[in-house]
Amino acid sequence: MMSVHALIVEPFETLAFMRGALVACLALALANGALGTLLVLRRMSLDGDVLGHAVMPGAAVGFLYAGPSAAWLSLGGLTSGLAVAALAGLIASEGARRDAGLVAFYLVALSLGVLLVAWRGSNVDVMRVLFGTVLAIDQRALIQIAAASSVIVLAIALLYRPLAVGAFDPAFLRAVGTRMPYGAVFQALVVLGLVASFQAFGTLLAVGPMLLPAAAARCWGLGVAGSMVLATGFGLAASVAGLLVSYHGNLPSGPAIVLAAALLFGFSLAAAGGWRRLEPMVR
Amino acid sequence: MGAEGGVLLREVTVRYGRRVALEAVSGEFASGSLTAVIGANGAGKSTLLAAITGVVRLAGGRVECAARRRLAYLPQLSAIDRDYPLSVAELISLGGWREIGAFRAPRSALRQRIAAAAETVGLSGRLERSIGEISVGEFQRALFARLILQDATVILLDEPLAAVDAQTMSVLLDQITRWHEDGRTVIAVLHDLDLVQARFPSTLVLARRCLAWGPTEAALPAMAV
Repeated sequence: MMSVHALIVEPFETLAFMRGALVACLALALANGALGTLLVLRRMSLDGDVLGHAVMPGAAVGFLYAGPSAAWLSLGGLTSGLAVAALAGLIASEGARRDAGLVAFYLVALSLGVLLVAWRGSNVDVMRVLFGTVLAIDQRALIQIAAASSVIVLAIALLYRPLAVGAFDPAFLRAVGTRMPYGAVFQALVVLGLVASFQAFGTLLAVGPMLLPAAAARCWGLGVAGSMVLATGFGLAASVAGLLVSYHGNLPSGPAIVLAAALLFGFSLAAAGGWRRLEPMVR
Repeated sequence: MGAEGGVLLREVTVRYGRRVALEAVSGEFASGSLTAVIGANGAGKSTLLAAITGVVRLAGGRVECAARRRLAYLPQLSAIDRDYPLSVAELISLGGWREIGAFRAPRSALRQRIAAAAETVGLSGRLERSIGEISVGEFQRALFARLILQDATVILLDEPLAAVDAQTMSVLLDQITRWHEDGRTVIAVLHDLDLVQARFPSTLVLARRCLAWGPTEAALPAMAV
């Protein structure tokens, strides 16, 4: 029988790539806790998913230009992500047609990205951009992820009040004469977070570590700041659990982390729902 | 309140895509007036308030409002997400936005005003509740307390009395009357014509265009046509 030390500590102690993956996931969890909570509160989960794929064509162009270099992938991804965020803003007012428009963006971006990468690269390259390579994060990519996460956490700390108010009563901000387009600022931060996540989780899974811990935290009925802290904690727990499961089971790590986060979401739904049924009706 | 509380509309036109929501509406809400905006569903009542607030963009015309920086807006209840994790006190405190803005912390004077506003609308015991836990009527009272805190010159109310119980309605109507007595300009979208006749001196009847605008006695018959 394996000791607890061998099970949990040893993989990170002995293997540099496991430590690199852990640090990357921790940095991402800090940014994703705050970003994901606001994304869930704004009911923009679909937007997050679409923006996750919007990163793809730009990253593919970066790949064509410079091969699998972290800097060029990120720069390309950031450019196309911001472009799609701006386009999505243009179709923002059209209720039902908006859904279809967003899904069209999603499909176009994904297909275009895969075609571009497959044109010059191998199947391995395609798998890399789709699912990421959290175990192959080099120091340069790590610094990029840490820098992006720092910018996101600082920006949300600074703009916390307008971002939080804009999420539930945007007309109020407009009526008190706010000129700053906080919705657009928030979308730009989401794109930045997804670009950082893209290295580790690829275009298909990048939104998972952002959305699932936040959705799980939202079940527990805390305030906005409390939800952000809990989401960060859930993100950390899912990262550690996912990395260990992938290590011991010899399984792909990105999907393992996302599944661990999904389990936390399922647990939160069931536990918090059960708790609510026990509480007397307040309304 | 001085004379700066007037709102002048010049040929105000709003379109949503190809649909015309408001067409060339002109007229003036005099400073200190209390006006009901009435009309059928889809007549552009909410759009008119949103246009004055600046929430929707005008396709044509102009809104002139010297007190734009001292304007407060109560959106329809359905426009606000009540699942949002916020306490009643936090919601009301947003009325102090002009003082606290995006970055500053509320001072104790503001906290006293929050307590006073909550008492005015009868919510004193509810301040720590979350906005998802209280009734619709109590939520509307909390939004009124936020408006009280905003201390605005021009107050726009979109269906302030929809879906509230009789007791809440009388609390809210009293507050509207108090604002009018203070000399603030109040514009309210309403459906209950008897109420309009009893409590609102001026009325604007909309059907995308302006059908009638003036003293309630003179304007109301346009609604029947």
